[in-house]
This record gives sequence, structure tokens and C-alpha cells, in this order.
Amino acid sequence: MSQINRIDGGQIDRSKLLSFTFNGREMHGHPGDTLASALLANGQILVGRSFKYHRPRGILTAGSEEPNALVQLRSGARQEPNTRATVTELFDGLTATSQNHRGPLEFDLMAVTDFASPFLSAGFYYKTFMWPRAFWEKLYEPAIRSSAGLGRLSMQDDPDHYDKGFLHCDLLVIGAGPSGLAAALTAARSGARVILADEDFTPGGRLNSETLSVDNMAGADWARMAVAELASLPNVRLMTRTTVYGAYDHGTYGALERCTDHLADSGGKPRQVLWRIYSKRAVLAAGATERPIAFGNNDRPGVMMASAVRTYVNRFGVAPGKQVAVFTNNDDGWRTAADLAARGVSVVAIIDSRDKPAVCDVPGARHIRGAAVKDTVGRKALKSVTLTDGQVIPTDCLAVSGGWNPNVHLTCHQRGRPNWRDDLQAFVPGDSLPVGMQVAGAANGAMTLGAALAEGHAQAARQLDALGLTAKGSAPQAEDEPRDCAGFWHVKESAKRAWVDLQNDVTVKDIKQANREGFRSVELLKRYTTMGMATDQGKTSNIAGLAILAEDAGKTIPEVGTTIFRPPYTAIPIGALAGRARGKDFRPYRLTPSHKWASENGATFVEVGNWLRAQWYARPGEQGWRDSVDREALQTRQSVGICDVTTLGKIDIQGRDAAEFLNRVYSNAFLKLPVGKVRYGLMLREDGIAYDDGTTARMSENHYVMTTTTANAVLVFRRLEFARQCLWPGLDVHLISTTDGWAQFAVAGPNARNLLRKVVDEAHDLSNEGFPFMACGEVTVCGGMPARLFRISFSGELAYEVAVPARYGNSMMDVLMEAGREFDAVPYGTEALGVMRIEKGHAAGNELNGQTTALNLGLGGMVSQKKDCIGQTLSKRPEMNRDDAIRLVGFRPVDRSKKLIAGSHFITKGDEAIMDNDQGWMSSVAYSPSLGHSIGLGFIKRGHERMGEIVRAMSPVHDTEMEVEIVSAHFIDPEGDRLRG
Amino acid sequence: MADYSLISTPPLAGTDLRFGTCRITAPADLALVSLALPLSGEDAAQKAIAKAFGTALPDIGQSAATSDGSTTLLRLGLDQGFVMFTHATPDAERVVAAKLGGAAYTTDQTDVWCALDVTGPDCRRALERICPIDLHPDAFTIGSLARTTMEHLGVIVIRTDTDSFRLLSASSSAQSFLHAVETSFANVM
Repeated sequence: MSQINRIDGGQIDRSKLLSFTFNGREMHGHPGDTLASALLANGQILVGRSFKYHRPRGILTAGSEEPNALVQLRSGARQEPNTRATVTELFDGLTATSQNHRGPLEFDLMAVTDFASPFLSAGFYYKTFMWPRAFWEKLYEPAIRSSAGLGRLSMQDDPDHYDKGFLHCDLLVIGAGPSGLAAALTAARSGARVILADEDFTPGGRLNSETLSVDNMAGADWARMAVAELASLPNVRLMTRTTVYGAYDHGTYGALERCTDHLADSGGKPRQVLWRIYSKRAVLAAGATERPIAFGNNDRPGVMMASAVRTYVNRFGVAPGKQVAVFTNNDDGWRTAADLAARGVSVVAIIDSRDKPAVCDVPGARHIRGAAVKDTVGRKALKSVTLTDGQVIPTDCLAVSGGWNPNVHLTCHQRGRPNWRDDLQAFVPGDSLPVGMQVAGAANGAMTLGAALAEGHAQAARQLDALGLTAKGSAPQAEDEPRDCAGFWHVKESAKRAWVDLQNDVTVKDIKQANREGFRSVELLKRYTTMGMATDQGKTSNIAGLAILAEDAGKTIPEVGTTIFRPPYTAIPIGALAGRARGKDFRPYRLTPSHKWASENGATFVEVGNWLRAQWYARPGEQGWRDSVDREALQTRQSVGICDVTTLGKIDIQGRDAAEFLNRVYSNAFLKLPVGKVRYGLMLREDGIAYDDGTTARMSENHYVMTTTTANAVLVFRRLEFARQCLWPGLDVHLISTTDGWAQFAVAGPNARNLLRKVVDEAHDLSNEGFPFMACGEVTVCGGMPARLFRISFSGELAYEVAVPARYGNSMMDVLMEAGREFDAVPYGTEALGVMRIEKGHAAGNELNGQTTALNLGLGGMVSQKKDCIGQTLSKRPEMNRDDAIRLVGFRPVDRSKKLIAGSHFITKGDEAIMDNDQGWMSSVAYSPSLGHSIGLGFIKRGHERMGEIVRAMSPVHDTEMEVEIVSAHFIDPEGDRLRG
Repeated sequence: MADYSLISTPPLAGTDLRFGTCRITAPADLALVSLALPLSGEDAAQKAIAKAFGTALPDIGQSAATSDGSTTLLRLGLDQGFVMFTHATPDAERVVAAKLGGAAYTTDQTDVWCALDVTGPDCRRALERICPIDLHPDAFTIGSLARTTMEHLGVIVIRTDTDSFRLLSASSSAQSFLHAVETSFANVM
């Protein structure tokens, strides 16, 4: 097919021919074309099928407001549905297909839906598919989904890259039409840092589509000069193909830049970048959107917006029809007729709903005053229109103008409400704008070129003044074209369906029906009829829709009001919102210092927060994780095991008042902890619930090292920082995290001391007397390497934790394993660590779960009554100190072969298994290789007084029940002889 | 006692990547020691710092190099600063503490952080993909520093020269950090 509708002129590069396909048919266009302009040039008037009734549809607009011309772009994994042909830049090799039809576009089998339209009015699905209820999910919804909807997803991973970024400016100018360019020029010449963003690939806005002059030159030429000047200035960032889609707090804006969408291949670079723009001030110059008039069968291919017809003729050199008729309620529509006639396109008639004289002379066109179009003919392409007076006018393109709506969207993103202006018959920005924003040009109701340019300059000057800069230059000059407009929304004489929202197939009748059925609020109207939803968000339909609602309800348009405009202004791909955060890089990961060693030695890793920790180290011949874990736990208890415990939070605490500070944040006493000693500490929340536990070592008089749980490291640091800065600013205390700075290893088991003796330098006495349980100190290892040694034990064995600077951590793991070879030392992971702590009855995250108190944990004695601490007061509440409070105890299955289940609830034998009889729950379970059966920790009422009692452990989730015996939580070495040995 | 010795393997050691005219390197043997100014002892600490390094602890958000360029003082908060210098052995904290004679609290931060130096005329274009801070030459002058987040990672960004920045981030997430910075350059170069 050749470019049969191509005419002279336009801003396309005719020296280059681009090939593309639509539904497999090869077509041609030129650089500078959109897909829509190229389709029209090739005579492709029918481009898709409508959402609900599968009506043939063409191209309505020439911008991002397009409701009809939605296509699928590209193929394979890069296939993208619901792409607006009107803003898709043509490139060589582009492939597009039409959407929402079964069989070919021209013979859509689903078009039968259209004949059922009398039954398919607003609320049809809600009313019809109510019964039987069970049918909805399995039958009705899938059936409706397969027949409705628009494009199809590829169902493959998106192979493209996306990125995000941050920009800063003094002044953000949104929109590079006449007022935006004027504003940007003024600000740029005055030295401000300016960002000028526009969604089009050619800046200039309507200047590229009109034949109006600026500063005595063609508007498009002036725009090119202005852009060239802006591009040459170092203080300006010109961003084309960039939509500012949202106005957020404090002058922050969201913008989507389409970097490679206009290329056949992205070359491995991000396809789109989602920008966060921090602006000191902003000028919104978003322009205005022309609105249609609703009349019978106004959705036929060939019925277009009058301004779009001008755009195709003037900017793209395409005549959308050969015999064009214009239907308008305002002066602006006349310019379409004038421009067409000037380009040699035949204009058959100008139908003006107003009874007023011709606005301008259009050779060859009939002027029909005070009339309207009430119906059209032509299923796949317009053939004629019928007027209210009955005359039929043959035409293949009807250019419709219902007036202009200022694009106020971004002014409303922070709940601002627009104001109605009678003279424009449109909403303009309200009194409450986002902080730092001013609006200029058509977006602000300055509907003529001269006024738009003047206001762009003036608003920039105002913003510069606020920034402490002086505006330079003057406003570009242009004439004010006629702009009189009548409030005329739909043709009442139309007996046929008159479309308001073409994307959602909402008609005038649907709106009236919604009103009749009580959906009188505009917000309810939207949801009931779906008017204004989906990709175009009702840019062409909303105002007409609420005007019709107002008329039907006997109200004024401002009384009806608008729905809330929310970001995004145009659709933002989910891929762009995700940016780089996908797959392995979804979030950062943290590696322990011995990660390399662990990966070389068979470790399976587990995510603990952002950390990857060794969970167990499999050895050849082991049949599953239990084999590895049992071996690691047994071998540690029998000889010695080594575990990287770097992930536990480490906070360096220094200051003259550090002891007092610790005494206030821990529930137990810390004032008298001697230098060289470690103490276990418990922190409470303000409400008295247990918060976190850990150990704190006193390294010197004013120097402490606190350890926290891995999970709470950041939270505890933040809490301490808050306490230091806000609660007790009078204390001399300083905090800094050293979690990542020290590679710390637990060395546990009867041979722990023997192993360390080979690593710690000889000058240090490691004997039980010289370095007893809970001792700490600075030592050297491996011949002078500074290290820290703590004699603490989570496993219940004779154990130490030794720390070296993190960069030596991987090497330290090697050394410890090498030194431990004669003891058959074993590395152990988090699973064996968990097994051993359960065997020892130590509480961990499962027990400190935000519901339990010190009393529940059996640590009631650790809440000192001799001093104050965070949480102490509220921990005294009677409910938290009931006689029948739950207590942490151990459990073992009566039938030792059974496996305990965490989360089971306890019921006293003989009681009915109902919530009222709930006695507590099992919090942690493990298989104890030392005992040869399953063991558990859990909370049960008065647990400490019920040793030996048999209760039922029930898990309705697993549908299990078993008898368990209440025992001491300390399954191994209850007297603690081992760790003190 | 067996003769064991420990080998240093900092997470980003040897990083040297080029993207057009830009370069990403990991500085070798970078030592960091934090300073905390004691409450009511701030003046004495400031004096001791000025005397020890020959340059005063700068204002918050600024860095200052010693006259021989061997050491840079970073001021991160009201009572917090960092001493940054090249020092291979694991005793950086002792070296600094010895100079200050107890006038400020010191903590070794060398292994807490990893560092990347990014240089080149286009490096701002790459950094704007991850850095929320305004790095415009007028807004972020040479010597300026800021604490921020990049790709969810805490980062200290320091402008070290006309088109050079040093980035410090947690050493445990060094690989994610390098990936974030590297991707930014790859995406724009």
C-alpha cells in the first residue's frame, strides 16, 4: 500500500523512507511520523476494535489523550499492548498489530456483541452475573475477560532494561509548547537551572500543528529556534520524550523518559528511565485537550478531533480525508477548515452549532449555522453524516471540536480542585496548587497564542523572583486568535448511541441510566459506567460526561464537580517502576567475611534479612540437610565447631556516661559490669514487652561493645541513637556501628580452648582462671593481628567468639579450620546453631516475637526493680504479671518417635480443643541429635509449675495432635558446667 | 604454636573499570577512623584535632585535607567526624588515638566501609541514576560530603576534585554497591 493520503509539507524527513508493518502488511512512512500519522498516510483508517462492543474504530486524536488507536507494538517477549499509535514514534522495522478482535480486524467475530448492545448497558455485568455465585470465578469472569480487555501480554519476562534517576533544578517547566518554551527561555536567560520536559519527540507543542506566527515567523520555526537556544545553554536540561506524570510533595515530580522506544533496538541501554525531579519551583505548561461532542454513531473511523486533523495536515503532511466536514461549537474549529482549504484539501461543510456568522472565509465550504450532526453512516470508514435538519452530507472525515479543556491534572495531584470558568466552558486550575507550582498558557485557561506566550514569560518571571533571580528578556509576541466557545456537549436529537468515552464504550445513555439508578456522584458515575478509566483516564471524555450528568440531574457542571486526578498523567509501565530492582538485584545482599570460604566448602545459604548466611555445609554422601545439621551439632558438642556470627549487630559505645546509658536501656543492671567482662542484657519496649537481647562487653572504663540480634541490629542502633539524642542529651555517649568491621566467629565445643590456643598469641592466658566464662578482652592472633575475644556461649558448650578486622575474616576461617584439623573441627551453619540453642533453652526471634514479656521468657528477675529503664514502668501492669502467665519451658513428645510441630497450641488433657482452652503455643522445634528425638520450646500457662505434665499439642493447620511432656527448657547441661569448664 | 598468618582480602580490592572517559577504582589500603567529640569537651577535642593534623575539623557536610594531602578529615555530624588516610596495617585506630591523647573517642571504621573512586567528566551523568543528592558543581563544591542512600544502600559521597567523587558504603554489601555504581555507568556510557 502506498502513502495515498500523503500531501505536501509537514515536519517529516521525506529523504528517508521507513518500513513498518501493521497486521503483517508492509507500509511506509518517514522520520518525524508517528505510527498514527503513517497509518493515515497509508490509508489505514480502521485501526482497532472497541473494548466492549467490538465496534470498528479509527484514530481520534494526535496526542497522548488517544482513547481509540491502541495497538500492540513489537513481537515476542517485547510485545507491548495498549500502546497509543498517536504518540508512537515511527522507526524502521516497527511492527504493530491491532487489538481486541477474533479473526481479522475487518471481520471481527466478536462484533456480534454490538447487536446485543441494548442489553449491555452500564452495570450489565454487575446485574447479570450475580447468580449462581459459584459461577463467577470459574465461568463468568474468565468468559468476560476473554471477550473484553484490549491487548495481550506476552507472558514472557521483559528482556528490556529500565533505570531510575534523580534530577535537581531551580525551575521545572512541564511542557514545551508556546507557554512552556517562553517560560523556559526567560528562566534560562536569567541563569536559573532549568529542566524543560515534554512528552513529544519534537518540542513545540501546538506550534508544530498550527499555522500561527510568533515574533513574525512561523510558529514551528520559532519553536525550533527557541529549542536550539535552550539546548545551547549549560544551565538547561532539555528532556524530550519525557512525561512529567505526577506532582508530589515539596516540589518533587515524577517523570518517565522514553529513551529507546523510538529505536528498533535499545542496544542494551535502558529503554525507559523513571526520574525523580527535585524542583525549587515549577511552571506547568501542559496545554489543553480538545474535547469531542457526543452524537449518534460518533465513534466511526473517520470521525476525528478537529485539532488532530490540523496536526496531521500541518505537522505530518497527511490528509485524513478527501472530503472533510467540520462540526464545531467554537471558533477554533474553523481554523481546521481554513488550514485544510489552504493545503488543498476539500472542505465540504462547516457545521457550527452556534447561529453566528462565519469566523473566517473557507473557500468551497458550506457554512451550516445552528445545526448539529445527529448520525453517521459507514461501518469501517465514514461515508456521510446526517444533520439535525435531516440533510445528509457525504464525507470521509468529520473534524469535531467541542472546545478545549485545560490540562489541569498535575495541579490536582495534591487534592487541589479545579475552578469552573463560564467563558471557557471548562475547568481551570484551582486556588490550591502544589507547593512551588505556577500554571501558564492553555493549561491555565490562556487559550490564545499571544496570551499563552505572555503568561509563560510572566509566570517564569514570578518564579525567578521567588528564587531571588531577575527575569531577563521579554515575552515573544503573537496575535490572539478568535476563541469564542459555546457550551454544547451532546446532540439531543440523536436517536442512535452517542459515545462519550470511546475507550470504555460509555454512551450518553449509560450516563443518564447511571443517574436514574442513583449513581449521582461523579465518583460513583465513574465507577459504575467505567467512564474515564483505563489508559487515557478520560482525557477526552470526562468533562463531556459530567456535563451530561449535570444536565440530566438539573445541576450546573461545577455543582457536579470532577473526579480526582491522580498520578500518573499517562500510563507508566510496571517495568519502569521496578527499574533495576529485579532478579538477584531486587535488593542489596550482604555477605559474611567468610562467604568465599563457605561457598567453596559446600555451604547452602539462607537469607537472614539482607545477609546470606551458611545454613549448613553438606558433605559427600549426606542424604539431606538433616544429615549435615545433625553431624555439625554432634561434632560441635563432641569436639569443636566454628560458625561465622558476624551478622550479629555490633555497636561501639563510648563516653563518660556509657555505663549509665546502658543501665537505662537494658532492664538488668549494667553500672557495675567490670572492665574485661561481658554481660547478657535484655531490652524492653516502652510498653514493657521484651524487645531484643544480646551481650555487652566492657572493653575499658568508657568503652563498651554491644551485640544485638541479627534481625534487630539496625532497629536497636536507631533506638539507642534516639535515646541518646532525644531522651538523654545530657549524657556523654557516642555510638557507631561496627557490625561490618569485625569478622566474628563462634568457636564452641570441648576443644574450643585447645583450638584457640593454637591461634591466639601466647602472651594471652586462655586458662579457665585467666579467661573465665563471660570474660572479654583485646588480644592478638596469628602473630600480632589485633583481635577481640569474648567467652560467651549460645550453644551451651565451652565457647568463645573471636573477632578480627573483617578483611582478614575469610583467611581467619581458613586458619581456624586448619588449626582445628587435629580436633576434627567442623564448620556449622545457622541450622545447627538453632538446634544447639534450642537444646540449651535459649530464646531467639521465635520467642522474642513482640508478644512476650521478660516474665514469660523466664527472665522476670532480669527486670531490675532497683533502677529505672525503658519499659520498666509499663512492665508492671497487672495483666502482664498474672499468676497464670505463660512461661517458656521445654517440650518433648511422649512418643519419642514423633516430630513436634512449631505453632502447635497446647490444650490440657481432657479439655475440649477450643480457643477458650488454649494454654499456649510451641515456638521453636528441632530434632536433637544429642538426645535422639524431637524437642521444642514453647509458652504455656504456669509452665514452670507444671514440669512433667502431659498436655496435647494440636496444630489445626497441619491437622495433627500429639501428647507432649512439659520439661525444663534446658535439655542439655542444665547446670551449665560445660560452658564454665 | 603453629605459624599461622592472616591474609587481607578487602571486598573491592583491585576494582578498576573504565567507561568511556570515566573510571571506577577502589582505593587501596584506605583507613577510616571515626572521631566522637565528648560532650562538653568539644573545644578541647577540636583543638587536639587541629594540632594533630594541622587542619581543623571542618563544618558538617565538608571535608578538609591536611597540607600534605595524606589525610582527610570528614565532618559527618555535630559530634562525629572521620579521619581518612592511607594505611595498610590493621592499627589505624591506634595511630589516630595516639595523636589525640584521649581528647576524642575513636573507633576503627576501616573494615566497616568499602570505597569506590569515580572520576571523569561524565561521572555526574552516571551518578544521577542512583544518587539523590544534587551533585551539580555549584551545589556540591569540592570537599563537600553528604550521607545518602543509593539503591537502598547507605552511602557517604565526597567530592574530591572537579569531576571526582569518593563513595563509601557498607563493606558487607560491597558487591551490591559495586553493581549499583557499575550499572549506572554502563547505562549512560
